[in-house]
Amino acid sequence: MRGFFQSSGIVARQEWADAFRSRRAIVLLVLYFAGALAATLIFIKVLHHVENQVESAVGISQSRQAGASTSALWRSHSFRQVLIGLAGDEALARDLLSLPPLALFYGWLSFAFTPLLVILLSSARIAEEVWSGSVRFALFRVPRGSWVFGKLTGQAAQLLVALLASGAAAWIMGWWRLAGFDPVANALVILLFALKAWVYAFAWLGVAMAVSQLLTSPTLASVFGLVALMALAAISGLAAAFTGPGWRAALDLVRMLTPGGHEADLWRLDTAHAVPAVLFLLALGLAYTAVGYARFGRRDL
Amino acid sequence: MTAPALELCGVVKRYGRLTALDGLDLTVPRGALFGLVGSNGAGKTTAMALSVGLLHGHAGSVNLFGEGPFDPMRHAGRVTLLPQDARLPLHARVGELLGWYAALQGLPPHEAACAVEEALEWVHLADRRLAPVRTLSHGMMRRVTIAQAFLGHPELVLLDEPMSGLDPREAARVRRILRRRRAAQTVVISSHDLRELETLCDTAAFVERGRRVRQDSMEALTCRGRTLVYHIGGPAPLAELRVACPEVGWLSSPDGGRLTAQFAPDGPAAESVNARALQVLLRAGTGVLEIRRGASLESEYLAATRDSAAAGEGGSAELETPPLRAI
Repeated sequence: MRGFFQSSGIVARQEWADAFRSRRAIVLLVLYFAGALAATLIFIKVLHHVENQVESAVGISQSRQAGASTSALWRSHSFRQVLIGLAGDEALARDLLSLPPLALFYGWLSFAFTPLLVILLSSARIAEEVWSGSVRFALFRVPRGSWVFGKLTGQAAQLLVALLASGAAAWIMGWWRLAGFDPVANALVILLFALKAWVYAFAWLGVAMAVSQLLTSPTLASVFGLVALMALAAISGLAAAFTGPGWRAALDLVRMLTPGGHEADLWRLDTAHAVPAVLFLLALGLAYTAVGYARFGRRDL
Repeated sequence: MTAPALELCGVVKRYGRLTALDGLDLTVPRGALFGLVGSNGAGKTTAMALSVGLLHGHAGSVNLFGEGPFDPMRHAGRVTLLPQDARLPLHARVGELLGWYAALQGLPPHEAACAVEEALEWVHLADRRLAPVRTLSHGMMRRVTIAQAFLGHPELVLLDEPMSGLDPREAARVRRILRRRRAAQTVVISSHDLRELETLCDTAAFVERGRRVRQDSMEALTCRGRTLVYHIGGPAPLAELRVACPEVGWLSSPDGGRLTAQFAPDGPAAESVNARALQVLLRAGTGVLEIRRGASLESEYLAATRDSAAAGEGGSAELETPPLRAI
């Protein structure tokens, strides 16, 4: 008898192959790669413009390439003190200041936009198979749980490749357009942020898979995916704003149940913050998927 | 005693306020080519989907091979379904898709590849192995769905309208394949083509309004062993027939175009009755246009479900075959 994970592996492989055959994977990769390339280029151009303005203001000659002034500024003691003051969290600020600016930008970019892309691209995945009826050729051959887990892992694998592609795009643009670009340090930190963004996005992928299992219409699933994204972001933001002593401490718990509640910890470099956040987010992704499965496992197909 | 391949006992399935299965009982013996006959909405598709766990019943039980209800871990690869309206994934290539289904039902890679080749040969699509599903015609897609149902020689195959969309040549080919699988596999076929089921199946059940109206062997359903039907072109020489075949009861349709000989199953052989009756008919100059053993499955189905149809249509059931009157 074949095991649960073996069946899931077969489903995940097919999900991967189907993504390439249907060009979904190509769209995903192009979207992430081109998006990161364009966003990084804009970032570098804005940075260069700001650097030139500062250089004009202090009466020094304008640099021809972006990054030179920022590198100097980044190392300046007074600038670091100002940023630590602004951040409010000294440990976090020190962590961030130890990273190359381009890698920080990539981290912000991937944390900000990956959840939206995940919701847009994955919310309808299961729903469209139920809608077309193609699921009826598979689900008498494999347990529903294995099938859903295979879909989840197949999607997660595609997402990881897409994030690595976007990291590569940011690195290529930095290497090409930034002065004083440290290729190794940037590559390592971008890779670290790509992996962290994947963990963060995995929780959102769980949300997308839950929505996809609950609904039959792919269009409706996409709409509800966006609604869920906004609702969870709002819950996380409101809980963070109103938390406090007494009963309001419960809002911290509510925040922990949303992916946004763990985002700040992923920015930290110390394992004491990052590892629990990673574990919590992976568990959240599985838990959201399980919520959808509670219905999908019993529904008529 | 060997447990039946599939047994449904008192199965109830509702879709909101609509009752699709209303205590359906069905027993499919092992090795049977089993026909499932019923009008649209009678519950055939629901019964099949429920048997493989795609639908969940509200009451009653499903028993596969005497091992309990469908369990994908236990029955994967042993039970397959050809769903009626499901669409194959359009971007997949035919061979790759079938290979995936074979792998899903537990076939090792080498066996899966052989099973795919064999299934594609059966349905005449070996040359389309690398073609994307979306490039196939409707009939070809149907043949792929038939191929997937036979991958790896499952013990029980449920086919919901397998011939719909097939051209006559391919339909005949599929019928030949099904006949060859008799006894080796249990095959349940749901179809509205009763002539096809009559020639193909050895057992059939009539299902109406979610209930079994009748289930029996094809021999018994169509009275093949005790009925001969003559389609004639002139008046029947009844007195002579009664003399020549005294043990036979004769029935005639009101228009006189159809003459039915009914005799006890343990009485004379059909061949003997036919030999004597034909002599009389030919001697009297009555044109004999057609002779067939037994009634048609269609007429038996219409007769058996007359009450259900009348209840469903406000008593306006119309039979295709006119009633017989005794002579």
